[in-house]
Amino acid sequence: MLRSGGLSPTDPLAARRRGSARLATALAGALALLAYLSRSSDPAAQPVRQRGPLPLGAALALTGNANLYGQDQRMGISLAQGWLHNRPHHRAVELQLEDGASDEPSAIAAFNLLIRRGVIALIGPTLSQQAFAADPIAQRRGVPVVAASNTAKGIPQIGAFISRVSAQSSVIAPLSIDEALRREPGTRRVAVFFAQDDAYSTAETAIFQKVLAARGLTPVSIQRTQLADNDFQNPITAALQQRPQLVVISAQAVDGGNLIRQLRELGYRGQIVVGNGLNTPNIYPICQRWCDGVLIAQAYSPELNTPINRSFRSLFAEANNGRVPGQIAAQAWTAYQVLFEAIQRLQARGGFSGVTLAEARWRLLQELLSGRYNTPLGPIHFRADGEVVQGRFYVAQVRMDGTGRNGRFTLVRERELPEAKP
Amino acid sequence: MIEALLQTLLNGAASGGVYALVALGYTLIFSVLGVINFAQGALFSLGGYLTYLFLGGKIGVNGALPGWGLPVGLPFWLALLVAALGSGAVGLLVERIAFAPLRRRGAEPLLSLITSLGAGVVLVNLLQLLMGAEGYAFPQGAAGLAHLPESLLIGGARIRTIQVLLLAISALAVAGLSLWLENSRSGKAMRAVAEDATTATLLGINSVAVVRLAFLLSGMLAGLGGGLIGMSVSLAGPYFGISYGLKGLAVLVLGGLGSVPGAIVGGLVMGLAEALIPAEASGWRDALAFAILFAVLVLRPSGLLGRRQLEKV
Amino acid sequence: MIDNGLLVQMILGALLGLSVYLPMAAGQLSLATPAFYAVGGTLAALLSTQGDTPSAISLGAVLGEMLLAAGLTAALALLVGLPVLRLRGIYLAISTIALVEIVRVAILNLPFTGGATGIFGIPQPFQQPLGYVLFSGSLLALAGWLCQRLEASRLGRSMAAIRDDELASRCMGIHTTRVKLTAFVASAMLAGVTGVVAAHYLNTWNARQGSFDVAITTLAFVILGGSRSWLGPVIGGLLLTALPELLRPVGDLRLVLFGLVILLGPVFFPQGLITPALLERLGRWKP
Repeated sequence: MLRSGGLSPTDPLAARRRGSARLATALAGALALLAYLSRSSDPAAQPVRQRGPLPLGAALALTGNANLYGQDQRMGISLAQGWLHNRPHHRAVELQLEDGASDEPSAIAAFNLLIRRGVIALIGPTLSQQAFAADPIAQRRGVPVVAASNTAKGIPQIGAFISRVSAQSSVIAPLSIDEALRREPGTRRVAVFFAQDDAYSTAETAIFQKVLAARGLTPVSIQRTQLADNDFQNPITAALQQRPQLVVISAQAVDGGNLIRQLRELGYRGQIVVGNGLNTPNIYPICQRWCDGVLIAQAYSPELNTPINRSFRSLFAEANNGRVPGQIAAQAWTAYQVLFEAIQRLQARGGFSGVTLAEARWRLLQELLSGRYNTPLGPIHFRADGEVVQGRFYVAQVRMDGTGRNGRFTLVRERELPEAKP
Repeated sequence: MIEALLQTLLNGAASGGVYALVALGYTLIFSVLGVINFAQGALFSLGGYLTYLFLGGKIGVNGALPGWGLPVGLPFWLALLVAALGSGAVGLLVERIAFAPLRRRGAEPLLSLITSLGAGVVLVNLLQLLMGAEGYAFPQGAAGLAHLPESLLIGGARIRTIQVLLLAISALAVAGLSLWLENSRSGKAMRAVAEDATTATLLGINSVAVVRLAFLLSGMLAGLGGGLIGMSVSLAGPYFGISYGLKGLAVLVLGGLGSVPGAIVGGLVMGLAEALIPAEASGWRDALAFAILFAVLVLRPSGLLGRRQLEKV
Repeated sequence: MIDNGLLVQMILGALLGLSVYLPMAAGQLSLATPAFYAVGGTLAALLSTQGDTPSAISLGAVLGEMLLAAGLTAALALLVGLPVLRLRGIYLAISTIALVEIVRVAILNLPFTGGATGIFGIPQPFQQPLGYVLFSGSLLALAGWLCQRLEASRLGRSMAAIRDDELASRCMGIHTTRVKLTAFVASAMLAGVTGVVAAHYLNTWNARQGSFDVAITTLAFVILGGSRSWLGPVIGGLLLTALPELLRPVGDLRLVLFGLVILLGPVFFPQGLITPALLERLGRWKP
């Protein structure tokens, strides 16, 4: 290999180097051309379409680890789409759904793609971490975003264009603890579990622990788990050695469901309070009969008896073999609904006539934030910074049926919360 | 105090047994080919889903055919066996597509890391298309344990009955495999190829057949592991096998690449080390496996029980 | 189909591919790139979000972060490289995977890195994606130019000799440990610097950015592009990063197709797309 005299024109090494130099130059040229061709295809400066359906974008996790939520969201949005389309409206809306996958670069790519296609507003992305990556881009381009499932702290604060319909855990979490303490006032020993690699669960457990501290309870054991864990023998036996009377869990559906099942199998008989990540019927097949009796605070209750929630429930059941919808689907429906209704109001007032897309997006944002909405979540509206203000929260208890494979969240308590202060 | 110690030992054995099972799948292939099959984690997932389907489970709402299920409802043991065979067959297919063409062309063995990973990506995503991303749990009492208590108290330490069972089956499988490697004709052939493929071929051993056998067996081990884990916990989406695959990789190296007893000891050591982590540090647990691995590699590159060997030149 | 945002991601992919390529040019299969990428990204995220964060940051500050990241990753690589580079082949690969996992868990657990949510609100040096294209493009051009120079240099020839036969090269008087370590450190610095750019581009940084998946994807860049020339990983990185986006029209099947490309690519192109023979023909070609 180490032949000397690499100067002869027939030398393969020299030819190879010349070849790489040529290829590199060609590549640089190609990249420059690509950059030039795709420099700015932002249609924001063009006039907004006057007739025909208005394009609305959604970037959801249809692949990757988060796609369990993405699939539920797709279901919620498509039900809302069908339902709203069949009701009298001023302007049709055309949904453009893209896979935002479960990682940050894909969410950015999906947002860029949809913005370039000239959508009036965006729904998504699925994970809070993805929102911190993709939302700033929509903010800079002036595209309103309604987050359907981002519950981390600081999402609406990314910018004026960012809002959400997914209430933060700080509002909900304390209710279920209080319910557990009301049922067993003598509770002294509390064990806490949380999925430490999940943004939602870590935020939620901080609130749970704050509430516990405020009630004078110091956890006897705090166990950190991972989202991908499914064997909890270690943390459970460690916690049970402290003989807890109450277990508080912040996790997602599958890991949380497994945790509940194994807690019971390993002999824990006390009360279990779980966070909002487990507020989905997806837990029933996982923890089966062991789910029974678990307390949960909910941002959405399928038991809410309003016309719109009844419609949502029956449509969802129709499309899903009689299944009961969960919070993720309800919030996705709501995200679509609030945008749709804001578009109708703006259209009725002639707000879309003779303006650029950029101006139309800005007007839609104002309209969105100023409205009040009657949704499956109950009545909601937005704070000026885009944070959702939701009046009603619920404490429910899981009741499993005789087969141990199906159950329901029975409403224990319904709370009207005073408007959260900024 | 003694109770706590016993509990730690039990916990370590319970998770260590599974790690050993996963690592053994890698070991068989590594010993004959000197490469790692990154599709192993996906085969693990496949085994879980196949067991679920053969138990008579139905596909969930997010799958391609919601509500569809196989027209059979086998007893757990049979379902597990059929699923293991199914995973073994897919393991053979992976060998056919991702390994054999490279070997025939004498390509760099490194390439099979990528092709096998590609096979894993395809497999996991096909599973997701078919079954959806939701979690599945096997029907209660499928393993015929309904009349047993949910957990056993052994000297003050508690363990779930299903995990005892899981450990017993893993131990049986491992023991069976070792005996077979030690005594049977094809087992001896496999060891001969692992020792020195060229000499083995000169001695008239059909090394291609041995390689296929290794893929079949390691696919079956993965399938068995997936089915057992599915019984013990649940199937947490098509990606669930991947994290076991990664942990198994650490165990594989810890025990010594290509060493069967090494994989077992490595699995147990890993399980025990994880069980020893105090609650305050439980967030660091996943790093521990790799920190141990790192230390072992740097201090004793041949693994705990691996042979010290000079690089083949 | 390709917009400037995707172009940035493609260029970042090419840079990471180069980072995996460098040790491989000296015959070392190191998968440590995501670990150093994560260190660089975390450093940039931490430094640029100190105090009351403005939404913009000067280019000079970003260059400063890159310099710091290069220094930090070089020091880390020296520390880790010495023991690790004694390992061969698959042992080296797995020990570097271990490193990636350790760094990931550390970023998740350390008290100042934002836990699972990570660090967000990272200020922007450019208002338009085009700025990122030019900036990361220049970085790639610089890295490519250095690699091109390297191939003809003494160091580059030593690396190639070690790759062909380590024992023989040692006999020829090549200081193998030093050469391997140099390649490893250069790879780490490139990954760290890329992490800085990526952190700003992504607006946020968390532990998930440097994972086992990234290790494998970046390895695929090199294998599919070709590991015998620096252009291989560059082209592999550009193409494979763009591929999932270009496959969007096939919908739910796109990851299956992506997997098929990774599965069948090496079977049909065992040497990758860019082979020495191809470059030689290009070099001899006279218009």
